[in-house]
Amino acid sequence: MSDHPAILVVGAGTVGARTTRELLGVGTDGRSAVGSVSLAGRRPGRLERLAASFGSSVTMVDVSERPIDVATADVVVVTRAAGDQLEVARSALAAGCHVVCTTDDLDEVRGLLELDELARSAGRTVVVGAAMAPGLSCLLARHAASLLDTVDEIHVARAGAGGPSCARQRRRALRGSAIEWRDGEWARRPGFSGRELVWFPDPTGGSDCYRAELADPLLLVDAFPGLVRATARLAASRVDRVTVPLPMLIGPPVEGAPGAIRVEVRGTRHGARHDVVYGAFDRPSVATAAVAAVVAVALGAGDAGLEPGAGGLARVSDARPVLRELARRGVRAAVFEGSRDFGVAEDLDDRVD
Amino acid sequence: MRAVRRAALAVGFGVLGAILLRLTGASGTAPEQGGWRELRGDDLR
Repeated sequence: MSDHPAILVVGAGTVGARTTRELLGVGTDGRSAVGSVSLAGRRPGRLERLAASFGSSVTMVDVSERPIDVATADVVVVTRAAGDQLEVARSALAAGCHVVCTTDDLDEVRGLLELDELARSAGRTVVVGAAMAPGLSCLLARHAASLLDTVDEIHVARAGAGGPSCARQRRRALRGSAIEWRDGEWARRPGFSGRELVWFPDPTGGSDCYRAELADPLLLVDAFPGLVRATARLAASRVDRVTVPLPMLIGPPVEGAPGAIRVEVRGTRHGARHDVVYGAFDRPSVATAAVAAVVAVALGAGDAGLEPGAGGLARVSDARPVLRELARRGVRAAVFEGSRDFGVAEDLDDRVD
Repeated sequence: MRAVRRAALAVGFGVLGAILLRLTGASGTAPEQGGWRELRGDDLR
């Protein structure tokens, strides 16, 4: 791999276009961090519009009638709709590319994790779930875990959705069956159950969250083998309860509404119980694009802190470099500083000292 | 007959009100402790 990798983005939807734009952004040294950027899509009209926006800096690849050629790419970022990414990832890995997938579909995430052996043998990395959640949530979980001596519980909650495909996936997740990691085994729970009031960073604030068919627990248990509990919840309104079983009659806003995540990591520090709560507020499509682009560039440059294999971003050895770069690009995380009883403030004070 | 109609109307309004209440929900109690702080350079260094 080179310092300036060739990156192919597969999927020209909302997230794909934003990821491409993020890839064109300059690095900390003020220069472009990538050698070349290509964007593959199946809608010629959409590609024409994007070509007019990006100009000659991006090579548009129409794959509506021919297969995707990944041979010239160092890193392939798959931003197609969730459930439509596995085959692209498989062929990219077979061609010797690093792969970054943004999917949050549970079955697809399982399928991508099964590429682990193949990726290890090829010396390549498949990043599974490089989105806002999973993705940014996994990075925050890893960073929070670095403040603790042991970690036994991680609870993730998400509000909002990215583009139209993401909004459809959100509804599927609420209709589906949630998985939770409890005492060393997986438990299935019905979607839209287990209502819990979750406090996200402002301005989202408090929102009712429910179990849903989310992939976060799978990726977190994979990265933190000692976990006792891992759960994920999705913010939904009471109106959603009525409308989720119905077909989506009115499309969501193209860019989606603002969203937020909250990651609560519980464990011990110096022999006492401690919680660390991190969160982020942003448009999910913006955060997803930034996470996917930053990770793709780091993978291409060989400094992502990820071993060869397939796994989520919680597997990174140190989340801080990626979080710093995300903050530089405007995707900023926050910490919940509770009362002294909550333990967080003490943690941070100790660490900063 | 009029009494039956009134009763049906009352039940109907009651059901409508219940549905409305169920869909809109009630506002929760805001927590009084803690708050969010953006992660600074020191936190990520």
